[in-house]
Amino acid sequence: MGAFLEGWRRVLGAPALAASIVAATFLAALPLAMTVSRAIEQHLGASIEAEQALEGWHAGWAAEFGAGAQGLARTFTHEILGFGGTLATLSGLLDRVPLSPPLAAAVAAYLALWVFLTGGIIDRLARGRPIGAAAFFAASGGHFWRMLRAATLAGGAYYAAFAWLHPLLFVGLFNRLTRETTEEREVVAVRVVLYAVFLLVLLAIGLVSDFARVRLVIEDRRSALGAFAASLRFIRRRPVRTVALYAVNLVALAIILRLWLQVAPEAGAATWVVLLTGQLYLLARIWARLAFMASEAVFFQGELAHAQYTAAPDPVWPDSPAAEALDNLRRQS
Amino acid sequence: MAAAAAAAVALLGQAPAPRAAAQDTAPSPRNASYQLQASLDTSAHAITGTGTLTWRNMTSRPVAELRFHLYWNAWRDTNSTWMREQQFGRNRALARRPASDFGGIEVSRLAIAGRDLRPNASFITPDDGNADDRTVLAVPLEQPVGPGQTVQVELAWTARVPRTFARTGRIGDYYFIAQWFPKIGVLEEAGWNAHQFHASTEFFADFGVYDVSLDVPHGWIVGATGVERERIDTGGRTRYRFTQDDVHDFAWTTSPHFPERRARFEYPGLPPVEMRLLLQPEHADQADRQFEATRAALKYFGTWFGPYPFGQITIVDPVTIVNPAAQGEGTRGMEYPTLFTAGTRWSSPWGNSEPEAVTIHETGHQFFQGVVATNEFEHAWMDEGLTTYATARVMEEMYPHRFVTVGRYFGGLAAWSYLDVKWSRAIDGNRLNAFRAAASSDAQSTPSWRYWPGTGSLISYNKTALWLATLERWLGWDTVQRILRTHFERGAFRHPTPDEFFAIASEVSGRDLTSFFDAVHRSSATFDYAAGQVTTATRGEERVSTVIVRRLGDGIFPVKVRVTAGAATHVFDWDGRERWKAFEIVDRAPVSRVEVDPERVLLLDVNYTNNSWTAQPQAARAATRWGVRWLTWAQELLLTYAFLV
Repeated sequence: MGAFLEGWRRVLGAPALAASIVAATFLAALPLAMTVSRAIEQHLGASIEAEQALEGWHAGWAAEFGAGAQGLARTFTHEILGFGGTLATLSGLLDRVPLSPPLAAAVAAYLALWVFLTGGIIDRLARGRPIGAAAFFAASGGHFWRMLRAATLAGGAYYAAFAWLHPLLFVGLFNRLTRETTEEREVVAVRVVLYAVFLLVLLAIGLVSDFARVRLVIEDRRSALGAFAASLRFIRRRPVRTVALYAVNLVALAIILRLWLQVAPEAGAATWVVLLTGQLYLLARIWARLAFMASEAVFFQGELAHAQYTAAPDPVWPDSPAAEALDNLRRQS
Repeated sequence: MAAAAAAAVALLGQAPAPRAAAQDTAPSPRNASYQLQASLDTSAHAITGTGTLTWRNMTSRPVAELRFHLYWNAWRDTNSTWMREQQFGRNRALARRPASDFGGIEVSRLAIAGRDLRPNASFITPDDGNADDRTVLAVPLEQPVGPGQTVQVELAWTARVPRTFARTGRIGDYYFIAQWFPKIGVLEEAGWNAHQFHASTEFFADFGVYDVSLDVPHGWIVGATGVERERIDTGGRTRYRFTQDDVHDFAWTTSPHFPERRARFEYPGLPPVEMRLLLQPEHADQADRQFEATRAALKYFGTWFGPYPFGQITIVDPVTIVNPAAQGEGTRGMEYPTLFTAGTRWSSPWGNSEPEAVTIHETGHQFFQGVVATNEFEHAWMDEGLTTYATARVMEEMYPHRFVTVGRYFGGLAAWSYLDVKWSRAIDGNRLNAFRAAASSDAQSTPSWRYWPGTGSLISYNKTALWLATLERWLGWDTVQRILRTHFERGAFRHPTPDEFFAIASEVSGRDLTSFFDAVHRSSATFDYAAGQVTTATRGEERVSTVIVRRLGDGIFPVKVRVTAGAATHVFDWDGRERWKAFEIVDRAPVSRVEVDPERVLLLDVNYTNNSWTAQPQAARAATRWGVRWLTWAQELLLTYAFLV
């Protein structure tokens, strides 16, 4: 619990970091939103249906729009509204519903951004003090290739989970267990258990890869494979505390989702309310994600190092070629 | 004819045991009556049956051959016409069903006056020539049956109950048994109307008197068409006997687990109806919703179109199939005389239109299918479309503002109500959205069994509901109600044809509706009217505006054009025939608004957004508003996936 609280303290002590990620997420989604927005504007044209669309969800028009929509615009359905959208996204992920190609491309680009930033994020949170943008990006760049290798390993594990385990559970086993079932409640129970198993696998991959990334940064390791092995050893020697820490972080995430359920703006809400509430919710989600990393870093430092220890020296942004030339001249003289 | 029909819909239920001989005063011709005995073996999933068919030739010609439907042979293997067409319609999972899922029916005796006719009988495939289809059996007679003559056919058969196909079969201890015995086709003046079993159509049969004994394990509850007359326990088995006059089918269900509820429908001016509800245990708390919806349908269909003529009705809540890949096909809603299935979900929020919509729909079929027995092979729209339209109307009357869109997530098991997305009669009730994509897939006048299996139901259900709703907005509810009431009265206990319906529509409305039915029924044309450009010139102090309106679809329908200029509103009637038309408006103010079909009379218009034009478009604002909403959703989606790195 100490690591969890200290993790949150460090996350809340890095407002620029969280705000930057919110901004990055915003910017990543903005071109896509503009595409959808353009499609909406084009479809409405000079129609008076736009007036009703300003009042709230205009189901009749939205269905017409959806019927003719292509690409990204096809995702504009009532499933973007409020907490239903959250459920639809989670359900789509856990049920392996394919994303539309442009959305999948955006997700891939966004994940690449996270891979790049992860080194800097963990470095910043592990140090527990501001390091400045230059040092942050230096750390991000410095750790990028090892983070990419780590992401590749984690990605392989996730791929195995989704491509192999998922059909095994949700087609083979699910079909076998429900074939003679006449009660929907039983089917629900079976599926809930299968989701729990699948989620546990995903979370286990997440736990191991999280600590691997923490070790990559804090111990300045180069080998992603070695970091994963070290992460596994670390977790194996203190399973209860590492899992408990992960679970507490999950509870924090669940609380945020519960709050979102409460405050998610209705369809008729003003645009500024939607924007403000939505961005605050996303900020909370980002805090929660950073809290995983921060609390794991704190826990690791407390166990194998000491508070705020990182093996690598403070990252230094390389001087510009001009400054380096002047420095060389000064030395020569 | 009308008086006879009115008498025909008088109360029939709760009468003494029926007699086929009473046909002279009966509301229906009773020319195909069955006396059947069947036994269900729940360990072998098999039915053994015997019985007698009493059949009368009602045509003016002798007939030398009988034709029987053996519907269950559609599920004998994957080569039947039903199976093939299901797979054309992309239901490819059927081909992967294990052999134990399949069923079938074998006739072991088919005799007249002791002479077995089976040696000369053969399977025929009048629709598609599929040599592997065994759903129609042709039985040559030793002696023709003359006009008005009656024959008694002795029947014996065994049937293997399939895992559910087409809402028929078994899962676990739940059995729903329909179309389960050798069933004679309908002989018309032109010959036998006995189609093979097709993927997108249902059934057609003559009226008769049914007297059916069902033998099931002791403790198993049976629900069936008609009234229960006897229940006798012998040697670990229970024999139920049900009878019903003036019906064209007999279905039944059994399970040891049904909780049973009873209630009574009473409404001034309508005959009372005893309601029996057989529920799945997990849906017991939804019994009131089922009864309320049944009452609503009996009340509104009864007062609008004519009274429900049978004194009882059985509602069967079937097993909810949530994993068709393993459990079998869905069992949701299906109509049979005096009995129907109305599925629901364990997690059915109050705002969800299920079970209400399906219950009202299937109750409605008691009127348009049970009583007015149109040919579902060829004119499925006549019962499905009329019932869909009327169901939406009952829903709006009975439950205004109650229903919302419900999304199902996590394998369909978790329900989420979108409270901001309200159910609407025009869009949801008449099923406009699904129809839009298939608007031109088939002309509705094509025999239903020939519809493309993937979209056939959209033409039968949705398109009819939409053109009836269009008629309502055009001619008024009072006129449409009288059309349907007249159709019900004249068609009761008969097989009315589409042309009869269209003639009634023109007669009752007092106008020739031929061109309307040409457009909506006899063609696959789509409707799409649009507002075109507006140009304005100045003449002195006046503005002369030219407004262009266009017909983008092939369908033709008269529409109004409303043009607003300043405070003035100009309304024009346009017959909608030309591909475009220009209207000139002279006013001191420029035209600010153009609306084609402003009251949205033509619900079949597949694109209503283009029906209007405004000089102050709000599209950019609306796009920003919904773009921001989408942006938030997309950001969350990105973050959700980012949890994986």
